[in-house]
Amino acid sequence: MTPEKNNKTIDTILLIIFVAFLLGINIFLFSGKYLHFDTQGVGIVVAAFLTLAMYSFLYKDNPLFKIAEHIFVGIGMGMGVVLTWLQVIKPLLYKPLIRHAIFDNTPGTPDYILIVPMILGIFMFARLYGKTSWLSRWSFAFIVGGGAGIGIPVIINSLILKQLEPSLQPIFVDWVVTWQSINILLILVGTISVLIYFFFSLPHKGTIGGISRIGIWFLMISFGATFGYTVMGRMSLIIQRIQFLLTDWLHIIK
Amino acid sequence: MNCHYARSGLITLIIVLLAFPLAVLAQDKPSLMPPQDFIAFDTPNDDGKSISLIWKASESDREGVYYIIYAATSSKGPWKEQYRVLSTTRFKSDAPQYFGLSKDNEKWHFYEVTDINENPLSITTPTYFKLAVTDGTNTIAFPGIALSMPQGNWFDTSKINVLVFVIVFSFLVMYFISLARKNLNLFIRHIPGLDAIEETIGRATEMGRPILYLNGLLDMSSLSTIASTSILGKVARKVANYDSQIKVPCYDPIVMSVCQEVVKESYLEAGRPDAFKEDNIFFITNDQFAYAAAVDGIIVRHKPAANLYMGYYYAESLLIAETGAVSGAMQIAGTDSITQLPFFITTCDYTLMGEELYAASAYLSREPLQLGSLKGQDFGKGFIILMLVVGTIVSTIGYPFFVNLVRTF
Amino acid sequence: MIKRQIPLVIAFIVGVMFIIQFFVPHKVSQDALTYVNQWSIIIGGISILLGIYSLIHFHFISIRRGRPGWGFSVVLFGCFGLAVLVGFLPSIVLWFKPVQQGAEPGVWLGFIPLKPGVEEGSPLFWLFLNLISPFMATMFSLIGFFIASAAFRAFRARSIEATLLLIAAVIIMLGQIPLGQMIWQGIPDIMMDWILKVPNTAAKRAITFGITLGSIAFSLRIIFGIERAYLGGGKD
Repeated sequence: MTPEKNNKTIDTILLIIFVAFLLGINIFLFSGKYLHFDTQGVGIVVAAFLTLAMYSFLYKDNPLFKIAEHIFVGIGMGMGVVLTWLQVIKPLLYKPLIRHAIFDNTPGTPDYILIVPMILGIFMFARLYGKTSWLSRWSFAFIVGGGAGIGIPVIINSLILKQLEPSLQPIFVDWVVTWQSINILLILVGTISVLIYFFFSLPHKGTIGGISRIGIWFLMISFGATFGYTVMGRMSLIIQRIQFLLTDWLHIIK
Repeated sequence: MNCHYARSGLITLIIVLLAFPLAVLAQDKPSLMPPQDFIAFDTPNDDGKSISLIWKASESDREGVYYIIYAATSSKGPWKEQYRVLSTTRFKSDAPQYFGLSKDNEKWHFYEVTDINENPLSITTPTYFKLAVTDGTNTIAFPGIALSMPQGNWFDTSKINVLVFVIVFSFLVMYFISLARKNLNLFIRHIPGLDAIEETIGRATEMGRPILYLNGLLDMSSLSTIASTSILGKVARKVANYDSQIKVPCYDPIVMSVCQEVVKESYLEAGRPDAFKEDNIFFITNDQFAYAAAVDGIIVRHKPAANLYMGYYYAESLLIAETGAVSGAMQIAGTDSITQLPFFITTCDYTLMGEELYAASAYLSREPLQLGSLKGQDFGKGFIILMLVVGTIVSTIGYPFFVNLVRTF
Repeated sequence: MIKRQIPLVIAFIVGVMFIIQFFVPHKVSQDALTYVNQWSIIIGGISILLGIYSLIHFHFISIRRGRPGWGFSVVLFGCFGLAVLVGFLPSIVLWFKPVQQGAEPGVWLGFIPLKPGVEEGSPLFWLFLNLISPFMATMFSLIGFFIASAAFRAFRARSIEATLLLIAAVIIMLGQIPLGQMIWQGIPDIMMDWILKVPNTAAKRAITFGITLGSIAFSLRIIFGIERAYLGGGKD
């Protein structure tokens, strides 16, 4: 038997053991009245199965993970359709515009200006019919142009100016040097060196190379800080999932 | 006699001692003064929904003293009390977005009226106001009526600093673009992550495996996504030249459409329209983690030789990039998502940080106009460095000029 | 001309209009922004049909051609159909059996609550609570495992940069747990605090300035039609 085939056999055995384990545990939980056979009980079992199926990816890609993945994409997309209808199309387009065209007795006046986004939306489907595909570019241009235009002043206001304000602190007050003075100076040096690292028209050689290297050090310390900060948050998420499995599903912890 | 003097002296001393604190107290509490210079006017820098009332702060302002604002829709009344303002609160200096940062603003009270009797203010007829001051026992009215009508303003003066920055940066970028038009030889340093793209595609071709390209999780109106689709165009062209395959699973249907158009055009430009497969650019789902799971699935099943992650990402970045790293693919990321940069740096071979994402399409296209804009961008950075240095020196000397200049409201 | 130039003109007009809009507080300008935001949402909403088309097309071909794993495409179709059905079912049932104004819609077939949408207690909410929500939580927690393996990889990279990253990460990690305090109170109070307030602030500020300038230059390239790759290709 080749190692690949051997692996496959081991995987199949593992899969069968896992499914049998799940079945057995759940039969025990339902028969022992730890879980009730209602929407809540079934919900917990489904959630537990999906949790374990997703975790099985840590071992390797396997049919359980594939099933879970496809369930999520399917359900997620289906929910997306329902929500798009209920929260976007129905209140923003159907009710104020289309309903008037279908039902004569609808009160109020139709909001005709909504024809513009409707047409721009429909233009995107022009891509599906070769010859008219250029029409879709009108919609793209509207979205992209809008994004570009809205962005410029907003980011200057909320990013450049808002970041500059705290960057212009006095290094010392009344000529007294404190730790705070050193920190302010370090922040200034750090900010400038990172900015110099990002210069595109200066080669990273000589003095510029040296300053850029200091900039990289600042960047790396900052990235490390973000990394360290995130680790702890994610660990607590693992603990929450394990708690769900042990408490809500298996009732091992009360 | 002596005794009489002594007694009267003692009584005088007691009176003085008693009167002194009373006098101090009386000095602390000057008698109520009538309100002065009560004016109503349209609130500046707003959309035309409010009227501003201002009046001079007085020496008799203290805890327990209130200003009462009356309003009416006619000069003859009926007048109704609308608001009670504690005299130690509400100054023009509280609203720098309307009145700027003048020191004088601390000497004026300010009240912004948006409704009368819970009805919005009329924009066709004036609203009338009266003002009085009270300490609970005495009430003194301002001898006159103030009136005004709200109207929408066409320029927000509080954003003038933003306008200046927009003009400065736009000028810098446009100036260098115009210089580039005159064929100025522009030096642009190497960006290793972008130089590696060619090698990556070559490697994928040799291995006979596809290249995976992601656009991030934002929609088409986001600049990082637009930048990503632009890079995709350049990458797809190289892929077409190498006769390799590129897979683009998308998070947003509009982004998918744009990507299909971009890649198709790249294949056309490369003279290989027949090799273009629209099905390789497909939509997965607009659910963050379902998308991540599906992309992980693609990575482990199709085993792309190279993964390119360009655009804006959230927590899913590590789920995807780590799976890619374990799969042994060569990985290049580019993002302006500061919180996700550390994860790309630890999992990818090359990472384009922040603005390098925006520079990438210019760098890859090598078009002088695009490169010119990078030069302009650099001068923008030079301008900021100058502001940081000069601004810090000036505020250290004791002048808050630069801090006020960049203040936003 | 109409195919290439008009989109560029649209992008230019819309772009310039919204730069100006930022500085105009007048109601006309605020309404225009609200309208365009709403329009973008509508266009996005309509575009979901494109997404569905792509998804169905992709998986339908998988099934028809019997690609490896086509069975999973069947699962996906089933779940997609189930979610759509469950989402619209209450509205459909209520359409045929309307309840009186103000009355509780009740339960259908003994276990399906007739609450539409994703409000609490609706069938779609059940799907969200028991399928989507645990899935999201599990995927999110998977990052915990992945972050450990990413850190391990970073450990092996022997350079000053990687070392700085790791030292900072370890200090911040220790600073957040009781062990850090037990080793030395200064870890959370001095070291972590300094890293977050000084080098971290400096680097983030500089990256933000850079991103901002990059995005301004990029936006200008779009508005002035220099950057036109998003329209599919560069030249006319």
